[in-house]
Amino acid sequence: MRVFTAVIAIAAGVLILGGYFFPALADVQTLLLNWAIILAGAAALVGIFNLIAVHTDKIRRGEKGGIYSALLVIGLVATLLFGMILRPQHSAMQIVLNGIILPTEAALMGVLTVSLLYAAIRLLRRRVDVMGIVFLLTAVLIFIGSATLPFGDVPVIGTLIRPWVTQILALGGARGILIGVALGTLTTGLRVLFGADRPYGGN
Amino acid sequence: MIFPADLITVVLSFLFTILIFSYWIGDNPLFRIAVYIFVGVSAGYVASIAWWQVIVPRLLDPLLPTLLGGSTAEQLILLVPLLGTVFILMKISPRLAGIARITMAFLVGAGGAVIIAGTVIGTLIPQVEATINFFDPNTAAARNIDVFELAGNGAIILTGVVTSLIYFHFGARQKADGSVRRYGLIELFAWLGRIFIGITLGVIFAGVYAAALTALIERLASIINFFNLFGNT
Repeated sequence: MRVFTAVIAIAAGVLILGGYFFPALADVQTLLLNWAIILAGAAALVGIFNLIAVHTDKIRRGEKGGIYSALLVIGLVATLLFGMILRPQHSAMQIVLNGIILPTEAALMGVLTVSLLYAAIRLLRRRVDVMGIVFLLTAVLIFIGSATLPFGDVPVIGTLIRPWVTQILALGGARGILIGVALGTLTTGLRVLFGADRPYGGN
Repeated sequence: MIFPADLITVVLSFLFTILIFSYWIGDNPLFRIAVYIFVGVSAGYVASIAWWQVIVPRLLDPLLPTLLGGSTAEQLILLVPLLGTVFILMKISPRLAGIARITMAFLVGAGGAVIIAGTVIGTLIPQVEATINFFDPNTAAARNIDVFELAGNGAIILTGVVTSLIYFHFGARQKADGSVRRYGLIELFAWLGRIFIGITLGVIFAGVYAAALTALIERLASIINFFNLFGNT
């Protein structure tokens, strides 16, 4: 079974990767990607089922916070049933989307303003080094430079410093981080393709 | 005139905003109620989307016509993901979960290949090319910028890219006194890289903070609108 799963993973990976470089494999790649999309959809459903199972277990055991788990399960099952019967485009599902999901996301984002401010103040108190000072100074400069004021941009900071910092200095660092992340991701992908990493339980 | 659907949406939106904002007085049951309902409803919504936009059109809709009238090849092409779906559903039962490894292996292999291609074609090559382009006189001519100004900016960006990458190089040797340090030159470049990374994170922080502030203002405006709406009716 271990060898079999590794062969499947490597074969699927090589054929899909080959499709990017060899036109003859393009059809096979499309077919395999289509299968992967279907299976990812099924995996998402299994994940949702696992969420229900974990919280139902919490309710059954009478654990602390079980009432919240009950609310989660009721919300999940009701939305899932309505969604499967009515389809996501139905007006009832749009009420769920526009009345609960989107406002809650925006409100959580709004709550973040205070949390981020608190984190920045804590950073100043706990870690006063070059990186911390540069980080906060840049953030404040960019924030002041981006502010929309009645008389327009803040002189020098908004017109000169902010564009230069964001488009030159920050771009260099961001590109370095991005390339670093890409190299790390590439290594992880290659390890999976060579069978060195088997996160599907083939070790 | 407000339609009932709009009314329900406005009331729910107001209620959940207030419940979430209650976090400002500390972690409390009202906030938790809102968050748990939000997680449940979002998961249910995502599941229904996965069902109607992936499973039904790609697997279930073509199933019956293909099984009844399709060729053997078409039937095989459809049976493989069907079998894979059955296998992955076995994950629900702890006793049969091992069979799901076959499907998981396929998904991991496919994901690995997509990640490799996406990283090389979508990130590495474009980012390296964009850095090189700063030293290309044709780019300066096309953008109507002075060649030296562009190259100067390119040199700063290149320094940022190289030193940021060096910052994440943690190879070091043990010295005679037992201390472990990186080479002097690498340490110097890494220090410069820290400055660039600090600036980048500062810019990102400011961007995220501005986005959070925009969301906060939008929610506060919706609360004011809610009171205006019910004050006028």
